[in-house]
Amino acid sequence: MISRKLQFIVAALVVAILAMGFYLVHLKGNAESITAPVAQPLAPPATGPAGETTLYLASDDDDSLRPTTISSALPEDPGERGRLVLHTLIARYLQKDSTHPLGAGADVRDVYLLDSASAVVNLNAELANSHRSGIEVEQLTVFSLVLTLKSQLPQLTRVRFLVDGKSRDTLAGHIDLSNWLDVALVANAAKDMK
Amino acid sequence: MLKEHPIFVRVTALLLCLLSVSFAAEPRRIRVYASQANYQVDILVRDGVDYVGITDLLEPLGRLESRVQGDKLTLVFNGAASDFQNGKRQYRTSANPRLELPSNFLLVDGRGYIPVASITQLLTRVAGLTAEFHAAARRLFVGSPQFHISAELRHDPLRLVLSFPVPVNPATQIEKGRVLLIFRREPVVGNGPDNVSYGDPFLLSTTFAELPGAAEFIANVQQPATVSVGDGGRTLTIAPQTAKPAPAASAAPSASASAQHPATAPARVRPFVILDASHGGYDTGAILSPTLQEKNVNLALARRLQKELESRGIPVVLTRVADNLLTWDQRAVSANTSHASLYVALHSSASGHGVRLYTSMIAASQPTQDKHIFLPWELAQSPYLSQSSQAATALAAQCGSDNLPARVSAAPMRPLNSVTLAAVAVEIAPLGASAAELGTAEYQQKVAESLATGIAALRAKLEAAQ
Repeated sequence: MISRKLQFIVAALVVAILAMGFYLVHLKGNAESITAPVAQPLAPPATGPAGETTLYLASDDDDSLRPTTISSALPEDPGERGRLVLHTLIARYLQKDSTHPLGAGADVRDVYLLDSASAVVNLNAELANSHRSGIEVEQLTVFSLVLTLKSQLPQLTRVRFLVDGKSRDTLAGHIDLSNWLDVALVANAAKDMK
Repeated sequence: MLKEHPIFVRVTALLLCLLSVSFAAEPRRIRVYASQANYQVDILVRDGVDYVGITDLLEPLGRLESRVQGDKLTLVFNGAASDFQNGKRQYRTSANPRLELPSNFLLVDGRGYIPVASITQLLTRVAGLTAEFHAAARRLFVGSPQFHISAELRHDPLRLVLSFPVPVNPATQIEKGRVLLIFRREPVVGNGPDNVSYGDPFLLSTTFAELPGAAEFIANVQQPATVSVGDGGRTLTIAPQTAKPAPAASAAPSASASAQHPATAPARVRPFVILDASHGGYDTGAILSPTLQEKNVNLALARRLQKELESRGIPVVLTRVADNLLTWDQRAVSANTSHASLYVALHSSASGHGVRLYTSMIAASQPTQDKHIFLPWELAQSPYLSQSSQAATALAAQCGSDNLPARVSAAPMRPLNSVTLAAVAVEIAPLGASAAELGTAEYQQKVAESLATGIAALRAKLEAAQ
């Protein structure tokens, strides 16, 4: 016969296991909510000086890139400033009424400046993996990012794109991301897209 | 003894494995000869049975639509429907509801495969085409395009004259004691006995044999020999080397020139355009609609454009004629070694409107006559960028005049950067709201006619520039 003491110990252990299980599920949920991609933009921090920013907004309707000036406070650090500007641009594409929609969760992870003329833009996998495939639609995204970055970093002459920190052949099967992009050539090619 | 030398055993086993892998990697293909196209289809082996992709086989031969629903495949070839089911021998056509394949039909990754042994039966019943299959040589003749070699030994001067009803362009190999002609693209078949003995002081005998995907003619000679081409490629003359060759007709002989000129390899007809249907194989390109993949639209458009160009007398080559994947570098190498004057990459997209023409987005450099200057592979297009821009602008203008909205832009794209001739990429988008329009024969034909007219108008300018 099982003693009452042993029954009490077993019951206490079962309760403890269940409690720990619930706590584990709770912790996992918290962790996922932290690492989940942010679908909507964060507001730019108001710590830096306020200034004008030009976003080059792509439109699939007429294959155009239109400069749009917004007022915003941006940080002093050029790399962080570049990241926030691109983040704001991508946020526009995530809105429901966007004329150039990107996939949910699309964002820029980092912008690194090797020097004042060379920038490496690290996009997240959500942006690249969910991007629509086609020369024009990919070209609009890449040109839009490059020209918007150039508007914040006027000395920029070349840009290289990475996806989740890794080199990638194309954005979605067409536009080449494996080499540096010459900003002057992008600006020249985009002249006909306004 | 083997136990005493375990390393020897292991090395031998490794070598045998490598050897078997290298043999296994050798692709087997069927070469198809038809009036519409000359192409190859890959053989897939399943459970010891050879299969070929049914869409790969039929697509170049006519208008083909295919739909997969579950484990069933429906094909509509030139308006006639037929149904197949994965793992079943039975299939049906609109004319006959009970037909049977010698082995089960296969559906792999949405692609249908039929047993090789059923090719002729299937072409007749599904496509209404007559076909002859030479199984040992893996050569398929659709619609009787095959022709015979007519060989005649003539004297004064002594020579063996081979006559053909159409121009031929075999690979020629002259060795000590024999002259070897290999016909890969030509549907040449034997005429009478395969071995003919002449017993002549110059010519001992000739043999004809079919090889996998080719035909081979050997002249066994007792003296050094030359091969010359005549009648625009319709005759090949094998003569002793001491015989006085006839003078060449001109520096740039026309296709109809009848004068013979000595050559170890016959003159090739230089293509003017190389068409590159982008994507292929597992690289589907854009998914344009649930039933429409970019790779298939690109290939269908390439074939229409090829027909339109050839009807205008413009020689064309295609980088791919079936659903196979080529790397960007392979496409660039094909273009650069084709001796063509214009490279056109074809794309399609559900986004946008009309036709877009793209050139490479690199800095232009001045063309140079110095062949010894090396250019980086990624910038090889730079001396040709001006020609490419002119070509893109002219093609856009032609599309515009044919009521197809068109615009020109530069884009960072491969393989355009590495192509050493005028190079443009064309992306077609629907005129209306539905991407299904991209798969319609009417729209593709309209684009193909417009591009062909534009390319024909460019011919003189680009050839002069080259």
